[in-house]
Order: sequence, then C-alpha cells, then structure tokens
Amino acid sequence: MDAEKKDIYFKIFRYNPEVDQESYFDEFKISVEKGITILRAMNYIKDHVDPKLSYRFFCQAGICGSCAMKVNGVAKLACTTQVWDELKKCKTPDVITIEPLGNLGVVRDMVINYNPVVDKLEKFMSWVEPAKKDSAFGEKEFIVAEKDFKIIDAATDCILCASCYSECSILDAHKDFVSPLVMLKAFRMNADTRDTASQKRLNLLTKDHGIWDCTHCYKCVEACVKNIPIMDGIHGLRNSAMNRGMKGEGYRHADAFRKDIYNVGRLNEPLLLLRTKGIFKVIGMTSFTIKMALKGRLPSLFVKKIPGLKKVRELMRSTSKR
Amino acid sequence: MKYAYYLSCVNESMTKELDKAFNLWKNEFDIEIEPLHAGTCCGGSNLEYVNPNQHLVMNGRNIAMAEKMGLDLMTSCNTCLLVLRHTKHELDHNEEKKAYVNEQLKKYDLEYKGTSEVKHLLWVLNEDYGLDKIAAKVKQPLSDKKFAPFYGCHILRPSSVMLGYDDPNSPSSLDSLIKVLGGNIVDYNSKNKCCGFHTLLVAEEESLDIGGNAVVEALDNEADYIVTPCPLCHTVLDGYQDEALKRKGRSGSIPVLHLSQIVGMALGYSDSELGINKHMVRK
Repeated sequence: MDAEKKDIYFKIFRYNPEVDQESYFDEFKISVEKGITILRAMNYIKDHVDPKLSYRFFCQAGICGSCAMKVNGVAKLACTTQVWDELKKCKTPDVITIEPLGNLGVVRDMVINYNPVVDKLEKFMSWVEPAKKDSAFGEKEFIVAEKDFKIIDAATDCILCASCYSECSILDAHKDFVSPLVMLKAFRMNADTRDTASQKRLNLLTKDHGIWDCTHCYKCVEACVKNIPIMDGIHGLRNSAMNRGMKGEGYRHADAFRKDIYNVGRLNEPLLLLRTKGIFKVIGMTSFTIKMALKGRLPSLFVKKIPGLKKVRELMRSTSKR
Repeated sequence: MKYAYYLSCVNESMTKELDKAFNLWKNEFDIEIEPLHAGTCCGGSNLEYVNPNQHLVMNGRNIAMAEKMGLDLMTSCNTCLLVLRHTKHELDHNEEKKAYVNEQLKKYDLEYKGTSEVKHLLWVLNEDYGLDKIAAKVKQPLSDKKFAPFYGCHILRPSSVMLGYDDPNSPSSLDSLIKVLGGNIVDYNSKNKCCGFHTLLVAEEESLDIGGNAVVEALDNEADYIVTPCPLCHTVLDGYQDEALKRKGRSGSIPVLHLSQIVGMALGYSDSELGINKHMVRK
C-alpha cells in the first residue's frame, strides 16, 4: 500500500545579514510522506528547491543536539519531530512554521550564534574539577557509586541543544542570565562526587543574573528534548546555597515562606517585601505603596494565625532537618 | 459538586476581590465549598528547595485534610495548584516519600492516600460543571468586548504533573470559557507566557519586562481586557502595569480581570459587586 502523502507548506524564516536589511519568511510547498521528520523535509527543500537554505544538523538521531530550531513556535529537534505530528499544531492548516531558536542571535536562517552558551559554560566552570592532579591520572580509578550517580543521572542526558535556552523567560528579558542549560550543568558538576569546585561555582551562581533570577516558569522543563527535570537541578543549586548559608535577597525571599508557615501558617505578604528588600529599599517604594493603599489593596501587617497552628509548628520542627 | 477549597495567601490579602466575586455566583453553578481554614501556605514554589521535607509534609497535609473530608481539593491560584499537584505527583509515584510523609502525619490523625484530585477553578468550570451549562446561565453576554486570555505558567507547566486539560504550547480552556460567556478572543503570543511574578522582588527589571511584554501585546491587539486564572499574574499585570509600561516606553492601560470576575460580569453583576473597582487599573 502506498504511504499516506500530502502537500505541505513550510513557512521558513530567512535572514542573511550580508544581503538582507531584515528577516522575512519564504514559503515552500512540498509533497511529504507520512513518517518523514522535519529535518528530512528541510533537507528535501535544500537539495531540490533552495540550496541556500541554512541550518545545522549532524547525527539525525536526536543525539548531537545541533538541529534544534523552532517548529510552529516551539523549540524542538528537527530530526526527532514528525511532520505529521506538527500538522495538528499548525495555526494555518498545513502550514508548518520554521524559525531559529530564540534568545540567541541569528547568523543565517536557522543557524544561531551559539557563542553565548559556550561563554557561560566556561564562566560557570561546567566541568568536573577533580581533586587529583593531572599527573596522578591513570594511577587509580575514581569510581562514582551508583547511588551518587543516580542524583545526576537525568542531568547527564543534556545534549546542549539549547532548546531550554531558547524558551527561557528571563533570558528573553536579560541576555546575561546564567540560563537553564548552564544551571543544569552546574548542578550536575556540583553533585559529582569527584568534583571539588562546588563552592566556587555557587559563589559565581549566586551573583547578579544567577540562580535567584530564575522565575520558575518551567518553560525550560517543557522544552527539554530529553525530558530532563531541569527545575530540580535549579532547585538543587538553591538548596545547596541555602544550606551553606549564602545569604542575599534570593535567600531571604525564599526563607520567608518557611518562617511564615511556622509563625502564622500563611504568608505575610507585606513582611515578605520587607524581608526580601530590607527596610531602606522598601522606604524607596513608597509611591507604589501609597497607590496600593488608596485602592484598599494593601494587606494588613497582621496576618491571622491559622487554626491548629501548634500542630503545624510541631510538624515543621520534626521535619526541619534539610 | 462539593470541593475542599484551598485558601491562597494572596487571595486572603492582596487579591481579596477574586474570592469575593467567586462567592457571588458559586451557588448558581451548584459549587459548594468547604474552605480549608487549617491549611498552610503552599510555600509559593519556594519551600521545595528551602526544605524539601517540609514542602512534602506540609503540602501532603493540605491534601490529606481534603481526603479526610472525602472531597477533591480546588484552588484559584496557579502556583498553589502547581505546588499541590507536584506534591501529589511525588507522593503518588514514590512509596518512600509517601511513607515518610505519613509517618509524620499519623500523629495528627491524617494520612495521605492519593484519593483526592487537585483541581483549578478553571478546570472545574470547564469539565466538572461544563461549558454548556455555563452558556445557559449567561444573562449579559460579553459580546461587545475583546479579551486577551493570559493563562499563567503554573496552570500549564510542567504538563507532566497537570491533568492534561491544556496543551502548554496552545492552551484553550480559558479561551473556551470566555467564548461561552459571549466574549471575543484576542489571539496573541503572550497567552501562555510568564508574568514574571516569582522574581518581582529579586529581579524586578526582568520581571517587569516579561509582564510588560504581555500588556503591550494585549494593547497592540486592541483587547479591552486581559483575563487571568491566576491572582499572582493579576498582581503583576494589574498592580505593576504602570511600571511595566514605563519600562517598555509605552502609554495606555488595560484592565485585568480575574477568572471569577469575568464569569460574574456575564451573570450581570456590577463592577463594584465584583470588586473590579478595587483594581489598580480601571477602564
């Protein structure tokens, strides 16, 4: 029986900075068989219609991570994404949109400038810094126990495709943000039993544009082509920073939740502001506070304790060991 | 339909109008609630890294209290939804963690069994009550208005712990509700994006940029209102709209409604009855 076939339109982002004033979209109509991936459809267009179409790919098996691009607005690997699956997600029927990853500059068409990722991987020491001197290597194996590897197992699946980088909400607002990808690597290295640089890494990660700037939007988790729970890694880094008493606005903000549950059972919103920012910064926010007060939206400083708070406190105490 | 109702800290303090509006019409929709007065704050997606054990035990307790009542647990806040669903997911899939939580809870005559579902009000309206029945209740169709739905992150992502109500890349449950209320939808890219709430106090500029993008896009698409099922998104999009638009170098303003308020509007309640006059941005 002949394979199911269909005429499909590929609306593809085009930009060549040497020629084009600005980017535009080209539309290619090709006949596609069911079972074909986005990458194979792109290869067909490059081989038979427009050889100038530029994009990266290598392994064609979801391993090298080089063919990540936005398909119908979402970062994906072109080589593991089926055209037929995408047909269900088209805004205009049978028109599949292809764009470069977000949050990274465009070199040409779908080829993005990967350098910021490499720079950040380097800045945050995304490698194991072993206790052994280089000269001592080869003398004795350094075995990672299975239970220790389990902690970093999922994180080691990362193929650096930068899909998470593309979708990150905070990177969209500030290009210096460390990025989910680099935080995941840092978590993986910090939790590696052979590594000795965790404190150094945490010192870097708790500076401006570091771990505390992640807004928990889970876009990275949703975009990860390897289904890595990236937020567990980010939370893991924050947990380490807190356990090591690395205090700052991020620490104070997060710890306020724990304290309020213990003290009243609920969050004390006005005090949260005060605790996170400190009294001097809060005084500087008076115009906002006055506007809120005029609307009757300023919460009371005194939050009513929840019924049964005594039991809650007992539970908080008996589970306090981190 | 009866639910244990999880009281979100933000709705008890800064966005009281959300529950005020909900309480006006819930009986008309046969929704009965048992407020979880003894429930604790969910930890706002922070407690899980401050102290993972406390996060599991306190939120396991919140769900176990609903289980003891024999009711599903409903919330009107996206972040409470995420934290409670995350907890449920962990306890339902990890016997060791469940045993730890129950060891702690048994002293208080509570047990986490996994028998109660955790749902958002938006899901309850869409599926438990049903859009057909909602359409039949509408007294004042919102047909002369254009709405920009803003879902917020924690009702969509991570989809692995949600109930599959929405495709996180192309959600539709809020759109569907607005449509049955007679409203017109503005289709814009920001609808499944982040408002920036959770970094508002530690990375304010970035947060306002993110929230500002959604407001600007809603304005560009000539929406009359933004509607959100999350009181935290509301806090940014309404409370910080002025600052966010200033950062974007934009003029204009757009009122932001809670899910409970837009339902109330279609049922004929006035702005003051629904607490819309308490918002920072007015029409």
